[in-house]
Amino acid sequence: MKSAGNDIVALRLVDKQRTSQFRFYSKILSAGEQGLYGQPQFAEMPFEKYVWLLWSVKESTYKYLKRTIPNLVFSPTKIIIQHIEIPLGLLKNKFEGIQWESTGCSEEFYSGMVIYGSHTFYFQSKISKEWIATVVNDNDNFENVCWGIQSIDHSGYFHQSKEVRTLLLNTLNSFFPGDLRVEKSPVGYPVIFKDLEDLHIPVSLAHDDLFVAYSFNHDPLLPSTK
Amino acid sequence: MDRTTILTELKKVLAPYTENKEMLDGISEETDLVKDLKINSANLVDIIIDAESKYNIEIDLDSAEKMYKVGSCIDVIIDKMNLSA
Repeated sequence: MKSAGNDIVALRLVDKQRTSQFRFYSKILSAGEQGLYGQPQFAEMPFEKYVWLLWSVKESTYKYLKRTIPNLVFSPTKIIIQHIEIPLGLLKNKFEGIQWESTGCSEEFYSGMVIYGSHTFYFQSKISKEWIATVVNDNDNFENVCWGIQSIDHSGYFHQSKEVRTLLLNTLNSFFPGDLRVEKSPVGYPVIFKDLEDLHIPVSLAHDDLFVAYSFNHDPLLPSTK
Repeated sequence: MDRTTILTELKKVLAPYTENKEMLDGISEETDLVKDLKINSANLVDIIIDAESKYNIEIDLDSAEKMYKVGSCIDVIIDKMNLSA
């Protein structure tokens, strides 16, 4: 079953001191992931950024899985990142816009493979000066994974929730015209309805501080009213 | 230390991580930290660390993953306090 999973971490809120404490990061990173940080490719990446990059991958993977395993409990150290690729020069990537969207593989991302039990997933992450955002997929072809990020003017929970739904629906409308709305499944993941019809589009929503993010899996074989 | 006392103290631990102060005032053992108090999942680790400091206990990973409702947080805290007594 196709699903969707994303996450965004606002770097302004990261407590660098707490993140660097063993008792904190050992509740997020497995022993192998702690060892992975010692590899030369991470030499230029501050440790707190590494921890929250992996957190965003784990949270995205959990959301992807929650659609098919409804009673799943988020346990970060059981979702294990196997390897991470950092394209050359990407650490110096500066993003300062208020909105960014991707519908395919038009640029290079942090990427890699993540496992949960017998399940294998792939991720793409983007890091700006202000945030880390991730999407997860069940194969390494992200051509049909659409995702976007936008800054908002204040961080109240209900404002974030409203803004992320607006951002998602504006983009979804370009694929599925009509009056769409977002509802929550009993388990808690978002479901897209058009009138009384569940469109069965796997979507994922995230927000943190002044940023909201969406992702959805747009299978071109899905029926569209476009 | 009884469950009511720990529940009252937990309100102070949770306060920095929720905007929903009205809901926080009226929490019960059934209150879900994420669904009801709208606590960001990233802050669940902070809450575990704060609870460890407050009660001078160590919360292992298996116990930590149970701490998504107020009642289960109290269960874990009492369990770990008994272990360290």
